[in-house]
Amino acid sequence: MIGVDGSPAHKQESRVIAASLSSASVKFGEFTALRDISLDIEAGDFWTILGPSGCGKSTMLRLVSDLLPPATGTVEILGKTTEAARLAREFAFVFQDATLLPWRSALKNVALPLEIGRKRGIDIPVGDRTPQELLELVGLKGRENALPHELSGGMRQRVAIARALVCQPKLLLMDEPFGALDEMTRDHLNLQLLDIWKETGTTILFVTHSIPEAIFLGQKVLMLEANPGRVKEVVEIDLPMPRHISLREQPEFNVYCTRLRRLLEEC
Amino acid sequence: MPVSETAMTEADPRPGLSDDARERLLNIWVPIGSAVSLLLIWQFGVRLFEVPIYIAPAPTDILAVFTSEFPLLMRNLWPTLIESLAGFFVGNLTAILIAVAFVHSRQVARAFFPIAVFINTIPILAIAPILVLIFGPGMTAKVVIAALICFFPTLVNMVRGLQSVSPQALELARILSASKSEVFWKIRLPSSLPFLFSALKIASTTCVIGAIVGEWIGANVGLGALIIESTFNFRSPLLYATVFVSSGLSVVLFASVTIAEKLIIRW
Repeated sequence: MIGVDGSPAHKQESRVIAASLSSASVKFGEFTALRDISLDIEAGDFWTILGPSGCGKSTMLRLVSDLLPPATGTVEILGKTTEAARLAREFAFVFQDATLLPWRSALKNVALPLEIGRKRGIDIPVGDRTPQELLELVGLKGRENALPHELSGGMRQRVAIARALVCQPKLLLMDEPFGALDEMTRDHLNLQLLDIWKETGTTILFVTHSIPEAIFLGQKVLMLEANPGRVKEVVEIDLPMPRHISLREQPEFNVYCTRLRRLLEEC
Repeated sequence: MPVSETAMTEADPRPGLSDDARERLLNIWVPIGSAVSLLLIWQFGVRLFEVPIYIAPAPTDILAVFTSEFPLLMRNLWPTLIESLAGFFVGNLTAILIAVAFVHSRQVARAFFPIAVFINTIPILAIAPILVLIFGPGMTAKVVIAALICFFPTLVNMVRGLQSVSPQALELARILSASKSEVFWKIRLPSSLPFLFSALKIASTTCVIGAIVGEWIGANVGLGALIIESTFNFRSPLLYATVFVSSGLSVVLFASVTIAEKLIIRW
C-alpha cells in the first residue's frame, strides 16, 4: 500500500519513536567521539547519516546497537533500553563488509540469527519470511547453496541484508553497506533497498559518505560534525517516493547536493 | 629396468589431448621421469665404481631385500604406525584443548604459555631418553615422544586460528546476543579449522619422527629399532629399505590429512 504522496502507508498511521537519543555522548578515554546527541527517529523513517570522516557516524550506529555504552545521556529503542532491544532482536546491523561465515552457504548464513539462542530456549522473533523467501526478496533465488566465496561482492552484501531481515527487525542499522561496491552495483542495491524498506516498513539508519546516496535514499539526512562528533543539521529531503534512478538528473536533487556539500565543507 | 619401461610408454604424448590435459599429464610424469633418472644414475654409479654393498647398496639390492624381508619390515612397521597415530591423536588433542583454554582465559595463557615454549625448546633427542627412563621400554614412551613433537606447532596454530575471527564477526555475534559457547562452536572453531589443518599436516610427518626417535633409545621392535639394528650389523640394504618404509609411512599419513582437509574445508 502506497500513501497519497507516494510514501509507504505505514508512515502515516504511526508516530512511534523507533530510536530516541537524549544528550548521549560516547567517549574513548579522553577523546569525545560523540557529544550531546539528541534525536528522535520515527518508526518507518529512512534516515541517512553523513559527515566528514572521523565524525562518529559508525560510532553512532554502535551506540544505538548496544555495541558501545553511552558515557552520558540515554539511548532508547522503542521505549526499551538498547540492551533489552538487542535481546528482543528489535534491530539488526549490516556491516560495510558482508561479514558472512565463509563455511556456511548463503541460505545457512541467512538462517544464522534463528540458530543463535535457540538451544538456550530464548524466544527468537521469527519473521514472516523464511530465509528462502528472503533470499528471493534480495534477488538471489537459485544461489541458496553457494558459499560466500562463490558470490560477488554485491551478492554477499545482499545475503547480509537478507540475514538482517530474518528476525523482522523494527530498526535496521546499516554502516556504509555499499561503500566497497562499484557504482552500477551500488545503484542497483540502492533501488532494491528502497523496495525492501517499502515492503517491510522497517526503520532504517544508513551511514554513507556519498552525498548523492544520502539524498537518494533518505527522507532525512543527519549531518554530523567532527571533533567532537555532534549534530550539525538534520536536512529533510522533500523528494517524492518511490524514487527512480532518473531522480538524480532532476534539478531539485542537485539543489540538495549543493546544499549538503556546502554544509559538509563547513564541518 | 621394468619400472622405467612402463614409465616411458605411458608418458608418450597422445594426439588429440587438450592443452589442459597435457599439462596435467606433464605434471605427473615429469617428476616421475626425473625420479627414475636419479635411480638409474644411482644404480649404474654404484655398479660402475664398485661401491661395496655395506656402504651404498644399489636400488636393485634394496628392492631385493624389500621383497625377501617384507614380513620383517611389516612386523616392525606396525608398532611404529600405532605409536605414530597414538602420538598424533594424543599430542594434537592436548594441543587443541590447551589452545581453547588459552583463548578462553588470558590468565591461563599467561601462566602456561612460557612453559609450553620452554618444553618446545628442549631438543627431542635430549628429552627422549628421559621419557624412556620414566615410561620404560614399552610403547608408552614412544607415544609420549610422538605426542610431544606434534604438540607445539598445533598449539600455536590453533591459538592463532581461534583468534582469527574478524572483529565484525564478533560484533555480529554480540548483536545477536550469542553466548560464549555459541561464539565458540559457531564462529571460533570453524574459523580455526584451516589453521588446524596446516598444523596437522606438520604433525602427520613429525609424529613418525617422534616414534622412530623413541625406538632408537630403547626398543626391540619398530622401524627405529630396525634402523639401529641393521646399521650396527652392516645390513645396509635392509637399512635403506627401512628408511623407505618410514618415509612411506609419513607420506601416507600426510596424504590422509590432506584428503581430510579437502573434504572438510570447502571455503
